[in-house]
Amino acid sequence: MTITVHPITPDFAAEIGGVDLREPIGKATVTAINGAINKAGVLIFHDQFITDEQQQAFSRNFGDLETTVKIYRKDHKPRLDIHVSDVSNLDEQNRLLAKNDRRRLNGLGNRLWHSDSSFKRVPARFSLLSARTIPGGGGETQFADMRAAWDTLPETMRRRVEGLICEHTQLFSRAKIGFTDWAPEELEKMAPVPQVLVRTHPGSGRKSLYLSSHAGRILGMEDPEARLLLMDLTEHATQPQFVYTHTWRVGDLVMWDNRCTMHRAREYDAAQIRDMHRTTVSDGVPTVLEQAAA
Amino acid sequence: MPLTIRPLHPDFVAEITGLDMRVPPGAALMRAIVEAADTYAVLIFPDQHITDEQHVAFSRPFGRLETTIKAYRPGFKGRLDPHVADISNLDENSTLLSATDRRRMNSLGNRLWHTDYTFKPTPGMYSLLAAHVIPEDGGETQFANMRAAYDALSDRMKQRLDGLTAEHSLLYSRGTIGFTDFSDEEKQRLGSATQPIVRVHPGSRRNTLYLASHAMMIHGMEVPEGRILLKELMDHATRPEFVHTHRWTAGDLVLWDNRCTMHRAREYDAAKIRELHRTTVMEATPPMAELTRTIA
Repeated sequence: MTITVHPITPDFAAEIGGVDLREPIGKATVTAINGAINKAGVLIFHDQFITDEQQQAFSRNFGDLETTVKIYRKDHKPRLDIHVSDVSNLDEQNRLLAKNDRRRLNGLGNRLWHSDSSFKRVPARFSLLSARTIPGGGGETQFADMRAAWDTLPETMRRRVEGLICEHTQLFSRAKIGFTDWAPEELEKMAPVPQVLVRTHPGSGRKSLYLSSHAGRILGMEDPEARLLLMDLTEHATQPQFVYTHTWRVGDLVMWDNRCTMHRAREYDAAQIRDMHRTTVSDGVPTVLEQAAA
Repeated sequence: MPLTIRPLHPDFVAEITGLDMRVPPGAALMRAIVEAADTYAVLIFPDQHITDEQHVAFSRPFGRLETTIKAYRPGFKGRLDPHVADISNLDENSTLLSATDRRRMNSLGNRLWHTDYTFKPTPGMYSLLAAHVIPEDGGETQFANMRAAYDALSDRMKQRLDGLTAEHSLLYSRGTIGFTDFSDEEKQRLGSATQPIVRVHPGSRRNTLYLASHAMMIHGMEVPEGRILLKELMDHATRPEFVHTHRWTAGDLVLWDNRCTMHRAREYDAAKIRELHRTTVMEATPPMAELTRTIA
């Protein structure tokens, strides 16, 4: 079976058909999907009603899987396998979280533009998010094309940002929304990590801005100057012309390349269930080393 | 002399000529300016080369003038009259601040969208900003039309915001850019203030969003929930269709109505002088005193 690729815009986001993610896929299909995501950054697979096991098996075709950061907490009671991030508003008994539950408030951080696991020294390469239950309205996911953002950056700004190294930690992004309710064992794992601000996307050879709400510092720069530069760059990168908004249907699986995109969730009614399961393929090498080698 | 009013957008920003700001305004001119400000919110007066004394004398008839908050800091040495806020990158000897100077870092907060003095219970009404020295590139001021932003909200959002109040603090907004170098006295005197999120603009009776980067939480909501809502409202209100960018020419004086606009400065080369002087006419009463339901 050959996959079909239907681009949503000429070089950002594409719908993929002709593949059944419940079944093991062959090498040719893996190659075709890699080719498609290298070009489009975001791939949408419709009508894929898969189990967590099938999602993990499909994801492993593209590399090693991350384990969820929620296991850092001693009191964490998982609802799902540790290789599956629980992107839902449900507790371990599948009951809706209270509006003021710390897990829900922490989850609100997903409403800020980010790139998955940029707070880890080796960040995420691909994320695969599967929609199991969606609310009646809202809860869209938006994606920003960071290669297009780089391409349209004025030459003086490109020269200024190339080679800069940022520090990323979840403490920065959650502090922005006033969430500070961390356990000591979590804080231990949250030391800032270095990430390059501009990277060359290996699959396409195109340059990309590498931003995330987790970025709070730029090495060698005063904090206020750095924060404003990061804000200005984020504002540039998330202009409507660089953004694809995905309105979910149950059975959608969206796979994106964190090396050249940012994403964020949109608001939905807290009284309705939104249950999404994410697997995350690790990038394998710290960005600072990848760029040094490039 | 009759004023010439040239609107730059149908109901936002007008260029005004036909007056001389070296002379304090008479009753008729004041009425005309207030009326234009009620309609357009941002008024640009080109070719007004005025001294600080003239600037203060022209501003004062509109209401009480605020004195600069920089004087809250022990050891503050002002370059200008206390009623004139020094919006420049110069020290008290008129030499360029170093790129890492504390005063420069503090002033970078002006690059965040804000409304003047919302961190005080009785905030700024009109700000009058006069351009003395302007760098060749950058340093623009952008204005957001908060009445248009309100009008464009969904009915559901209007319902949701009706009656909500936010807490505003300068310490908070500076904290968001990682600037925390305030003395205890400054912290205590800067304090914080509660403001409505939606208000009725007194001069036009139009509803307007009332926001600023100083807004740190919404009363009665969990902090993260309130912050996210504030952030989304800020994003909405600063969409390109609501924003006007003013490119400065020395001699420009821009007057804006803080009750229905936000503004921010854009970046410029720290090695170039940018010198603007601002007076601020304060509101007569706290916006909280006029807090009414905005939806009938």
